[in-house]
Amino acid sequence: MAAYNLAFRRYIRRFVPLTIAYGASVALATAVIPDGAPASPGIIAIAVLPGLAVVGWLWAMARLLVELDDEYLRMLEVRKFLVATGTTLALTSIWGILELFTPAMPKLPVFFVFPLWCLGLAVGAVFNRLRFGAARCA
Amino acid sequence: MRNRLKELRAERGWSQQDLAERLEVSRQSVNAIETGKYDPSLPLAFRIAEVFAMRIEEIFLKG
Repeated sequence: MAAYNLAFRRYIRRFVPLTIAYGASVALATAVIPDGAPASPGIIAIAVLPGLAVVGWLWAMARLLVELDDEYLRMLEVRKFLVATGTTLALTSIWGILELFTPAMPKLPVFFVFPLWCLGLAVGAVFNRLRFGAARCA
Repeated sequence: MRNRLKELRAERGWSQQDLAERLEVSRQSVNAIETGKYDPSLPLAFRIAEVFAMRIEEIFLKG
């Protein structure tokens, strides 16, 4: 099997358990932490869990870039990450300004920044498809 | 950058997949280089030249 396929396989093997861990930790926090809870050490410990899963996710993506020896496929992945980052920063900046100066604007919880970035990866895949006709998407 | 990849591949009767295997890259990479959507790095350009037993400048053309 080609090295680039092995890199994608390894990425999926890391990505799936981390995604499950992220979903489970968010579900745990939702179930256990009541509304208006104080920021006690126990609550903070539960809140840290999804953060650890996110760090793991970024690590898996970084490993993909390191292990992917096909330079063209690596460039497609890097483009996706850049588009996701740009989309997230732009949208949150716009929303943030509106939040600051427009009282009617609903508050966007910071929690949604990471899910928004993940949606940005899909936007990046669409950009790759339009620019290169490339369907591959990690 | 223009290149003669498709022409050279056709002369040898190789498919994109055949060339990709010789270069140890994906078929998508070969397609992207052939269609001018992606310019390879210098190391990959040297590998391509090696596979075709030609000089880089005989494969990749200015403009």
